[in-house]
Amino acid sequence: MAGICCGVVGETEPAAPVDSTSRASLRRRLDLLPSIKIVADSAVAPPLENCRKRQKRETVVLSTLPGNLDLDSNVRSENKKARSAVTNSNSVTEAESFFSDVPKIGTTSVCGRRRDMEDAVSIHPSFLQRNSENHHFYGVFDGHGCSHVAEKCRERLHDIVKKEVEVMASDEWTETMVKSFQKMDKEVSQRECNLVVNGATRSMKNSCRCELQSPQCDAVGSTAVVSVVTPEKIIVSNCGDSRAVLCRNGVAIPLSVDHKPDRPDELIRIQQAGGRVIYWDGARVLGVLAMSRAIGDNYLKPYVIPDPEVTVTDRTDEDECLILASDGLWDVVPNETACGVARMCLRGAGAGDDSDAAHNACSDAALLLTKLALARQSSDNVSVVVVDLRKRRNNQASS
Amino acid sequence: MPTSIQFQRSSTAAEAANATVRNYPHHHQKQVQKVSLTRGMADVPEHVELSHTHVVGPSQCFSVVVQDVEAPVSTVWSILSRFEHPQAYKHFVKSCHVVIGDGREVGSVREVRVVSGLPAAFSLERLEIMDDDRHVISFSVVGGDHRLMNYKSVTTVHESEEDSDGKKRTRVVESYVVDVPAGNDKEETCSFADTIVRCNLQSLAKLAENTSKFS
Repeated sequence: MAGICCGVVGETEPAAPVDSTSRASLRRRLDLLPSIKIVADSAVAPPLENCRKRQKRETVVLSTLPGNLDLDSNVRSENKKARSAVTNSNSVTEAESFFSDVPKIGTTSVCGRRRDMEDAVSIHPSFLQRNSENHHFYGVFDGHGCSHVAEKCRERLHDIVKKEVEVMASDEWTETMVKSFQKMDKEVSQRECNLVVNGATRSMKNSCRCELQSPQCDAVGSTAVVSVVTPEKIIVSNCGDSRAVLCRNGVAIPLSVDHKPDRPDELIRIQQAGGRVIYWDGARVLGVLAMSRAIGDNYLKPYVIPDPEVTVTDRTDEDECLILASDGLWDVVPNETACGVARMCLRGAGAGDDSDAAHNACSDAALLLTKLALARQSSDNVSVVVVDLRKRRNNQASS
Repeated sequence: MPTSIQFQRSSTAAEAANATVRNYPHHHQKQVQKVSLTRGMADVPEHVELSHTHVVGPSQCFSVVVQDVEAPVSTVWSILSRFEHPQAYKHFVKSCHVVIGDGREVGSVREVRVVSGLPAAFSLERLEIMDDDRHVISFSVVGGDHRLMNYKSVTTVHESEEDSDGKKRTRVVESYVVDVPAGNDKEETCSFADTIVRCNLQSLAKLAENTSKFS
């Protein structure tokens, strides 16, 4: 295992001072792809040509959505033999002079050893301004049964949260996030909403399997781990078994607790609702679902609920980064190891004003974590978001 | 395994139960049960009752799920009888390919791929009964990557008349027998399988009702 870790570390390239959205930057990132085969034999790297096509597609997405980015969770390799696909991207930073407090981020989503990509990632820096403070939204959604619930969360949850926060009374974050998740859950269940979204979705890309059969499918769901970052606070809302971890002065601090059916308080809640937890390839609600909370999954309500657990954490000068990821990462990489990898990448970039270096460091961290998960035989989709929380020097000087 | 099961109506006290269990000595210290899973239901045709009579081994469990549908029998049967296309109403099925036969003849085998998130990957299933006149379909599981060994199910569709309002409705009955896997008990196994079957039949009802509404 140490050998694998050293191998991964040794492959880190020094960050080059290039524009994060330039073609050269994308090409440099492509150069990292062949090495995936070295560290993860089970992950077959798709041909570079397909990668280039995918990167071009993402470039288009970047140009049409300045300042916001939603990874396409349905990107599929044209080569059917390929069993993994890697997409890397950075958010687009708006004018530095006005929004210098926008955190730098990196994100990676990988199909991995599963045949379908059902994860989705949602990144919306400066999605909301409140009390003269910029708020930033980051979300990871790990779908099961099909991809459309995770995709709807990616498309809609940040907007639902924005509307709820705008009418929020004095920092009632828990109530606001619970309402938002419940609204998201209702939206994925409503037939009319599905039809409208389906209409829009179908014109943009292939419909998922369910839409060809019936407009409503109760047996599809998704996790949702969401973070709203303000200059003063980190708000994490979690539903399911994805996870958010804060790296503070080298220490891994979990900001969410996985919703596993055999977690004692979840087990009691399910039993009191009239359900049961059966060990069937692990603890599962009614022997079917391996998590106790999710968006969607109507057939398992009221045992599987969409209510998030919310944590509010004050930011400190010792904060280094925030990691949001699906269980494809956390099942095989401990919190402490993930923080160590991310910390190493960020230290390499330093905490200077060079925003491109910080972006690259976050991207490198996300990519390294993904490669580590694949090397450790993760059998799931892997999605990672790394948010640089370090205070920049000019901010410190002014405060 | 008896080659034929002769059904006899009985007026014993067990008639009040939902299932009548008779024990037959089969091996030393081993007993096989014959279970009638529609006993106690109102207005059940004889062929339906016979269809849902199963032979149950000592380490097996059994159950039955009933779903009423507001749609004609013919509409429900047209969906249910497509052995080659179960994903029309079984939303846990991602894809299905017939690997032996044509999907219509008894003995056909299909390979069913299961959606993500479930404790199963794929299932090999053999068509045992396809009766278009009496609307009876049955399949048994002959392989795959899952824990439901020797699962055998029978599904019937018939018209039923409720005493309360005299209105006729379509009733789908699915019964099954399956091995209890190591580490679980009978109640857990039925709880798991019932959840899947109930979800399937509810989807079938919705689809049939939508179909008949638009036709």
